[in-house]
Amino acid sequence: MTQHLLNPAGLLLVVALLAAPTAALAGLRRPSWAGIVGASMAGLAFGLAAWGWRAGGDRIDVAWAPTWDLRLSFALDGLAVLYALLATGIGALVLIYASRYVPLHLEHQHRPHTDEIRFHAFLLLFMGGMVGLVMAQDLVLIFVFWDLTAIASYYLIGFDRHEAEARASALMAMLVTGISAVCLLIGAMLLYADYGTFALPELFARAESSPSVTTAGALMAIAALAKSAQAPLHFWLPRAMAAPTPVSAYLHSAAMVAAGVFLLSRLYPLLARSDLLLDGLLTIGFLSMAVGGILALTREELKQVLAYSTISQYGYVVVMLGLGGTYGTAGAAFYVVAHALAKSALFLTAGAVTEATGEKRLAALGGLWRRMPLLAAASGAAAAGLAALPLTVGFFKDELFFVAALKRGPVFAALALVGAALSLAYVGRFWIGIFLGRSRAEAQPIPTALVAPVVVLGVLVIAGGIVVEPVTDLAASAGAVTYGSPTPIHPAYHLDARPENLLAVGAWALGAFLLVARPIWVGVALAVARLGERIGPARGYRLLLGGLNRFSDRIHAIEVRDLRSRVATVLVPAAVLVGAGVLVTPTRDQFLVGGVRGADLPLLLVLLLTAIAGVATCVPRDHLSMALVLSSVGYCLAVVYAFSGAPDVALVAVLIETIFALLFLGVLALLPRQVLRYESFRAVGTRRGLRDAFVATITGGFAFVVVWGVLSRPSPQQSVIVEQADLTPAAHGKDIVTVILADFRGLDTMGEITVIAIALVGLAGLLQRGRLR
Amino acid sequence: MTLLTSLTVAVLFGSGAFLVLKHDLIRVVVGMVLISNAANLFIMSAGLTTGREPIHPLPATETIADPLVQAMTLTAIVIGFGVAALLLSLVYRVYTSHLTVDLTTLGEAEERAEAALELEAQRDMDVEEAGLLFARPERERE
Amino acid sequence: MTTILTQTIARLLLPPTFMVAVAVMVKGYADTGDGFSAGVIAGLGVLLQYVAFGYRVAERLITIRTAARSLVAGLTLALLVSFVPLLRGDPILTHAPAPNAHVIHLGSLELITAVLFDVGVFLIVFGFAVGAIGMVARAIDRSAP
Repeated sequence: MTQHLLNPAGLLLVVALLAAPTAALAGLRRPSWAGIVGASMAGLAFGLAAWGWRAGGDRIDVAWAPTWDLRLSFALDGLAVLYALLATGIGALVLIYASRYVPLHLEHQHRPHTDEIRFHAFLLLFMGGMVGLVMAQDLVLIFVFWDLTAIASYYLIGFDRHEAEARASALMAMLVTGISAVCLLIGAMLLYADYGTFALPELFARAESSPSVTTAGALMAIAALAKSAQAPLHFWLPRAMAAPTPVSAYLHSAAMVAAGVFLLSRLYPLLARSDLLLDGLLTIGFLSMAVGGILALTREELKQVLAYSTISQYGYVVVMLGLGGTYGTAGAAFYVVAHALAKSALFLTAGAVTEATGEKRLAALGGLWRRMPLLAAASGAAAAGLAALPLTVGFFKDELFFVAALKRGPVFAALALVGAALSLAYVGRFWIGIFLGRSRAEAQPIPTALVAPVVVLGVLVIAGGIVVEPVTDLAASAGAVTYGSPTPIHPAYHLDARPENLLAVGAWALGAFLLVARPIWVGVALAVARLGERIGPARGYRLLLGGLNRFSDRIHAIEVRDLRSRVATVLVPAAVLVGAGVLVTPTRDQFLVGGVRGADLPLLLVLLLTAIAGVATCVPRDHLSMALVLSSVGYCLAVVYAFSGAPDVALVAVLIETIFALLFLGVLALLPRQVLRYESFRAVGTRRGLRDAFVATITGGFAFVVVWGVLSRPSPQQSVIVEQADLTPAAHGKDIVTVILADFRGLDTMGEITVIAIALVGLAGLLQRGRLR
Repeated sequence: MTLLTSLTVAVLFGSGAFLVLKHDLIRVVVGMVLISNAANLFIMSAGLTTGREPIHPLPATETIADPLVQAMTLTAIVIGFGVAALLLSLVYRVYTSHLTVDLTTLGEAEERAEAALELEAQRDMDVEEAGLLFARPERERE
Repeated sequence: MTTILTQTIARLLLPPTFMVAVAVMVKGYADTGDGFSAGVIAGLGVLLQYVAFGYRVAERLITIRTAARSLVAGLTLALLVSFVPLLRGDPILTHAPAPNAHVIHLGSLELITAVLFDVGVFLIVFGFAVGAIGMVARAIDRSAP
């Protein structure tokens, strides 16, 4: 329980959050440095996360806003270590890749290479957000970092900002994940209302199974599922492929989409309070597996295939969390690691292939293994990992998946088998389509930096398939955090006919069949895909957005475009509300008529004059008379002030009224006569005139009620007056008002004269020569 | 007294509201000035005490008028003047830009300009297709 | 309006106006009046010149630039009086000399920083009044054929 930052947890957080500004600063010096510095920072963060893991985790806890019970509390527990290692490790590899890829990308698009800095900075911001998110132990912090990742993803997806498609995709990702993030906040608020804390450990300890916890859990799960691109909120993810390839690789493996399942794992103790929620997760997981798998089989574009495969793969993870138990929770963690390694390698492969050939579609590619054998081998390892072939880390992910499904029942095992078969089919199609078969496209040589990260990831996938213990340890400690008690898992090769092995063999057979028998089912799959486009949620999103846009246009037309309606929409409801308030509250003795003494008679007379002058301002048609009547209102008020024992105010009022009258006349002189005449003699419809009079009357009535109500209740507390009167001699003055202005409430005066100074600046700008449009 | 002061404030406020609802921008400014006058009178009459002017030496037998509301009203009057001057120059600027000070005419001009913008946006790209239902294309740089 | 009589009167009235303004300000702490009224009085004196002589002649007397400078000077002065006490560790707008301490009197002028603050207010209000009317007058002058 260290309180300072000098422990692995604190250092990791600081380094991860400082990475983005550091890289941006380095990039300002020379754009190409941003990537290098960023990759080193990510590597450093990876090292710190690994150190933290070895050191057995650590935590920091700083009171941030103690009065509101908000604390900066972070813990580097098993779950956090796992995701932090992924975010920083894959982040570093992606940055190395990007430091070569992005300059080429910018060159193709004829953009300045300073844009590279933005790319790296936002990717690192993303990484920082992820690290903060996974370590946060407080729902408010989780929400903050959650949104930080959403913002970073918005800029990364929309990195090619000159392309409408990229901007629209970024907006879609932002809206879908950002609006659902509000659900997270609402869920947190519900929990706070019940338990008075945002701190997760306390919530886990105290939350019971109750309808409000279920509601809160469901809301937070919605946010997580939208971020993980689970059906039916999956449609933003394939659109997000508009981003440059390294972004996709990172989004899909270690950041954005992973954040969703991370949140589910983090909140699992709350979700597990309700069987309903877990069953909901199961349903959505299986649905996403099916939707993602079938659609992945129908896509032609490399990145689209991978995008739908991600939806399906995270469907697995959601299913495992829904199944729960030792194997479900630890298996989900294991699955995330295996998937992250394989999927990022495949994305980076897609980017490298497109860079080499200029082709994006499977149909236009083939036979590339002769040109790039190393890439083919490395990505083959990754593809085998995703397809869960033996000798890869992926084999164990499916083994755990089958075990978890078998524990629940044969139906689930059958569904799991179909899901695994689908993933073998689409991954196989992807890899075979690129590297085997007839050569269809010319390939340019590609830089080493585009191949090396893929090789590293491929080697890791194979290494994990041979020595699985480190990944198992990591997953078991993460699963223990999720499940709340130790989750020993023992994935290993068993050369016997146990059920999970049979399921695996069955999945390979079915997958291979799907791969070979493509002509049989492709028509059906395409029909499903078309149906989804016709009636799917993406269409709902478009309709909703279009409807909102039209609605805001309508409101704009009514309320904003016409100043008069706008004023009326403020005044009339206010008047109606006040009227209603008066009607429902008891008014007896609330309003004082107030006595009139003989000495008040002059004042009364002047008040009457003021009121008459006020009404008279509305009468004249020509502006000159109006200006003069307006001045008379001001002078009358000055006399009122003079009679009320306020000579200072009266003096200023007289002087200001004089100078304002001059200014008004000056501005009237500036406007041509015909403009003024048009305004004076334009026809105003009787109905409109009546409407204005009506609005003015009820507004006046509302002002009357408010003012009378306030004036009838003077506070008996007059000590302020006595105090100010007594203090004035001490402040070396005699005129209390002046002393208040310059001394007691001098800061008010300071603000006021600043306003005056700003007004003059505005005036100078507005009265400039020339026509502005 | 309370009732009559409130009535005066209400009449000033109502007249101001009536003018603010006009088409003529100059009348709108006059309405704003009237409303701020009403507010000044309101603040002034919200004083806790009435009586003689609050200047030392204070009268021994009579009460003094609340000096705090006086200071506030004083400030409010000067700020009101500054804002009114700014509004007037805004009216003048509207005239130099649009050659009118009429809200209806201005509204029609805005509607026309907006329609033109919308047309331009639709020409530049297929808005519906891109799903970009409310973003306009950025202007080309340089 | 621009008759010989008005012009003569306007010119003659200018120095007394300023005198009144200064008096109002100096006596402000002791009697009715303060920086606000003083500023407007002085401003009105200048405006009288605009009314009597027209923009071009009056502009020679006091330019819009002078008004702007007066505004800036006033704001700086007020800000200094407000924030310099911070340097000594006092709250902002702590006036010197301290309450009930001895104050040097020059006639009815008291040498206290509150008066300095009031001078800042005076300069700002004066600058605003002259600047606003001067700019409107300039615009009128430009729009005239």
